[in-house]
Amino acid sequence: MANTFADFTKGILKENPTYVQALGMCPTLATTTSAINGLGMGLATLAVLTMSNVVVSLVRKFIPEKVRIPAYIVIIASFVTIVDLLMHGFTYDLWKTLGLFIPLIVVNCIILGRAEAFASKNGVFRSLLDGLGMGVGFTLSLLLLGSIRELLGNGTIFGIKVWGDAFKLFMMILPPGAYIVLGLLAGLFNFIGIKRKAKIKG
Amino acid sequence: MGEIVKTGLILAAITVIIGLILGVVYMVVKEPIEDAELAAKLRAIKVVLTSSENGKLIVSEKQIPKNLKDLEEKVWKSSEDGTLFESSKYKAKVLSPAYKFVGRNGENIYVLTGSAIGYGGSVVTMAAFVKKDGEFYENAIEVLEYSQETPGLGARISEKDVKKRFYGLSSKAFQKANGLKVNKDAGILPKSSNEEIRKLKDSGVVQTSDVMTGATITPRAVVNTLNAMFEFLNQEVK
Repeated sequence: MANTFADFTKGILKENPTYVQALGMCPTLATTTSAINGLGMGLATLAVLTMSNVVVSLVRKFIPEKVRIPAYIVIIASFVTIVDLLMHGFTYDLWKTLGLFIPLIVVNCIILGRAEAFASKNGVFRSLLDGLGMGVGFTLSLLLLGSIRELLGNGTIFGIKVWGDAFKLFMMILPPGAYIVLGLLAGLFNFIGIKRKAKIKG
Repeated sequence: MGEIVKTGLILAAITVIIGLILGVVYMVVKEPIEDAELAAKLRAIKVVLTSSENGKLIVSEKQIPKNLKDLEEKVWKSSEDGTLFESSKYKAKVLSPAYKFVGRNGENIYVLTGSAIGYGGSVVTMAAFVKKDGEFYENAIEVLEYSQETPGLGARISEKDVKKRFYGLSSKAFQKANGLKVNKDAGILPKSSNEEIRKLKDSGVVQTSDVMTGATITPRAVVNTLNAMFEFLNQEVK
């Protein structure tokens, strides 16, 4: 039981997809200009990742080794299309704001990475937990990155004024800001990882 | 040989099943998507027909279209290929259909949709022009499509504070040599007073740099669309 629980929690800190595994850099850098964008992208990825992990795990025994990658891509792309269509039809305003990011999920290597590295080798339940955990880890990472950039670049978080116009680093909402914040956070996460390892060793 | 055929068949089966699922999902959501698009369009029409000065509707409540049938009755001009006018000067288009309403004092009001190229693709804008004393007065705009613009920069064009800067432009503003423009001083200007913004508008410059730091390409697409609309109206309405 402890093992299955670890499938969920490992994605949040120890194997955090963004800061530790350095997966999915494209949406990470592009969409984290504000907290809400980061959160939206994270949640959409979480949904697709969980569904694709479950389906890949379900069909893993039928798919021949040689064509597994195209098969996974087809499954992932279909889920992305379904999510896009459903959001367009039923949550129009949200779709308008996030519309740009949804197709980007297909090229997010976290999803293919988890399908290949985990779901294709493990059972449905564990794959579900892995998808949820990695999705939550990714969402939290983007939320953190987006909040820091929005705060430093625009003086707000979720559009709510923190210090407003008093301090604004315009660069933070542009690509250089993304790289700087991402680099510092990745360093911090690795530092925590090393400290924890050292502690276990005694 | 047999191995290759088997692998190919499995892959084909996967794509066929997925294709069918996608087809079903598409059929289910087709209608909700159309409804959502229409609702968004109707909302936009109401926004552009709301006075930028006192927040009241500039046409009678009755005229605001509530469904597809109402909307079709208001069509003024439409074309088969979807484009009514293309401005070579401003590199912007006026899209079909254009709508016509009658204002509270009997003046004609034209609601046009147009597009120009922004940072990453088309930026589609809707605007209402009132014909008053033989001249066109732009009342308000709504930005319908901006999905390819940079989040946090150009995409902020959808914010109310930004759109407001494009409200209430007189024909004087459009008649300058190169039409309406956007100012470009990124982020260094202090918050402008309403009076300054008004004065700039009359001189044909829309000030957005203080509410939309650093973004110039997206607002420029919007002013060019407005310029093309103005050109089109002057050509079509005598």
